[in-house]
Amino acid sequence: MAITRKSNLQQRSDADQLTQSESDQWLRFRTNRNAVVGTIMVLFVVIVAIFAPLLTPHNFETVNLLAVWSAPNSEFLLGGDSLGRDILSRLIMGARVSLLVAVSVLLITLSFGITVGMIAGYFGGWYETIAMRTVDIIFAFPELILAILVATMLGPGKLTVIISLSLVWWPGIARLTRSLVLTIRSEPFIDAAIACGTPAHKILFRHFLPNIIAPIVVRASIGVGFIIMAEATLSFLGLGVQEPEPTWGGMIRDGLVSLRTEPYLAIFASLALGFTIIGFNILGDGLRDFLDPRLRGK
Amino acid sequence: MNKTYQSITDPGCERGGSTLLQVDDLMISFTTLRGQLKVVENVSFSLQRGEIVGLVGESGSGKSVTALALMRLLGQEGRIDRGTINLDGQDIMSLTAAEMLSIRGREVAMIFQEPMTSLNPVYTVGFQIAEILQEHFGMSRRETMKKAADLLKLVGIPDAQQRIYDYPHQLSGGMRQRVMIAMAMACEPKILIADEPTTALDVTIQAQILDLINDLRSRFGTAVLLITHDMGVIASIAQRVIVMYAGRMVEEGPVQDIFAAPRHPYTQLLLRTIPRVKQKLARLEVIEGTTPSPTHFPPGCRFHTRCPDAVDRCSSEQPALTQISPTHRVACLRSDEPHFKPGSGK
Repeated sequence: MAITRKSNLQQRSDADQLTQSESDQWLRFRTNRNAVVGTIMVLFVVIVAIFAPLLTPHNFETVNLLAVWSAPNSEFLLGGDSLGRDILSRLIMGARVSLLVAVSVLLITLSFGITVGMIAGYFGGWYETIAMRTVDIIFAFPELILAILVATMLGPGKLTVIISLSLVWWPGIARLTRSLVLTIRSEPFIDAAIACGTPAHKILFRHFLPNIIAPIVVRASIGVGFIIMAEATLSFLGLGVQEPEPTWGGMIRDGLVSLRTEPYLAIFASLALGFTIIGFNILGDGLRDFLDPRLRGK
Repeated sequence: MNKTYQSITDPGCERGGSTLLQVDDLMISFTTLRGQLKVVENVSFSLQRGEIVGLVGESGSGKSVTALALMRLLGQEGRIDRGTINLDGQDIMSLTAAEMLSIRGREVAMIFQEPMTSLNPVYTVGFQIAEILQEHFGMSRRETMKKAADLLKLVGIPDAQQRIYDYPHQLSGGMRQRVMIAMAMACEPKILIADEPTTALDVTIQAQILDLINDLRSRFGTAVLLITHDMGVIASIAQRVIVMYAGRMVEEGPVQDIFAAPRHPYTQLLLRTIPRVKQKLARLEVIEGTTPSPTHFPPGCRFHTRCPDAVDRCSSEQPALTQISPTHRVACLRSDEPHFKPGSGK
């Protein structure tokens, strides 16, 4: 990969051709409304999460009795919760938890799912049978129910959320990867690589992976929305991240009890959750159009 | 891995004479739902250093399977049931999977029919050549990229220094086939297997590619096994020909002998299918019928169903490959008849 990149750089300086095609790509991205809007929304959430401690107007843990269930005002921009803690500050810190869980689950499921899927698709045989039947078994359960079951067994906590969501999310990646591997398994360039004496692991990671990664990236970016939603659901049920660490799901649950009288907590937490999920979904749609023009309009 | 890389222009390689590859009594079968299916039987031949041997036959005659068996690349279904493959003193059949990796690409290289899809679309051609060198010689990136440019120059790609940064889609079919040859020659293999290297190319490019293969052969002393169904290609560059039909060798001999006086009716018919410029023909010559499938090989001589010279015993007796001169072998029951000329009718 390094060489590919270097060669691009080198050629950019040598000839105008490639610069042209590079700018074509940028143009294609820029004119793709979904991709641009999705990127901006996701970037906004990511930046908020990264710089959370610097952005919070109050300490997210500080209890202020005077601000209990307060409506939005100049000091507490989005109001206060049942303990008088600043909702805005807690939402900002909550973005961290949501993204941390999402990124961890993605890393685990992508590396595991891609590896299992590629090996199953490439080698076939008994390995494929075991891997794919395992996938089928996990698929047989509704995702969230299984996640709740696992989370219940492991006891609440951040790690629990990550493990249980990873467990239900990797089979989809594995199945997708395997089917993609099968589509290019018979391409002559794979035969050529084998005939050149390339070891299996290099064939998988150098020759298959770059050719199948685009649909997986799209799937992953759309999946982030699901993961954040599932994390919120687990936290809402009290199986996820525990107090005092703020999570959007937990905040919605806390706000639910006083929804009729003081709806701000539940509303703002839901808005934050919705904004993030929609952002990732739009980004996923945009990436799909951008990475695979053949799928456009489908 | 421990072999050091020799310069491309190193003239120190042996040329001609000694036997590089010896294949004896090869039998290959594939596992299918109907059980083991014998697709290649009784194949024995040798390759000398620096010679080009043509392997001809119709589709499904077992040419490609035989070639793939030399690299033990028959996949999970394919199996070598019997026979020996000896590559320069090494018994290919007894090597471990890891040892085979160092044979493939390093000692035996292969070029394929489809230059349009035989290169990975996501990498530059230079990178793909460099990858092989890194794999087999552990050279550094900088060295391999330099060597890749040298190799592209060697196979006649102009402006090679720039072309190594091109992606496959930026090159034409002929150029891509040259790149494939450069990849195959990267490690200066002892044997180059060319599986219909010119089928997908137009005629002028075909001639250029064949010239290139011939040129590289004489320069490096590489033995070339040229798989084709085009007798014209064989005539232009091969020294010896092996003719296969329905998984068996039917004739083997020097190109001149085979073209001047084919001894097997099938070979004779194959030669008649070459269109001649001088001849005015309304229709091209064809061999009636189709190659039998491995599930329904006829008893006796496998060609008797289509053979114009078949006699009664052809449908019951299986002909063995017999030596009719020191360099010429044929598998036809009637080859021992003193006045038998294939194609003369019954």
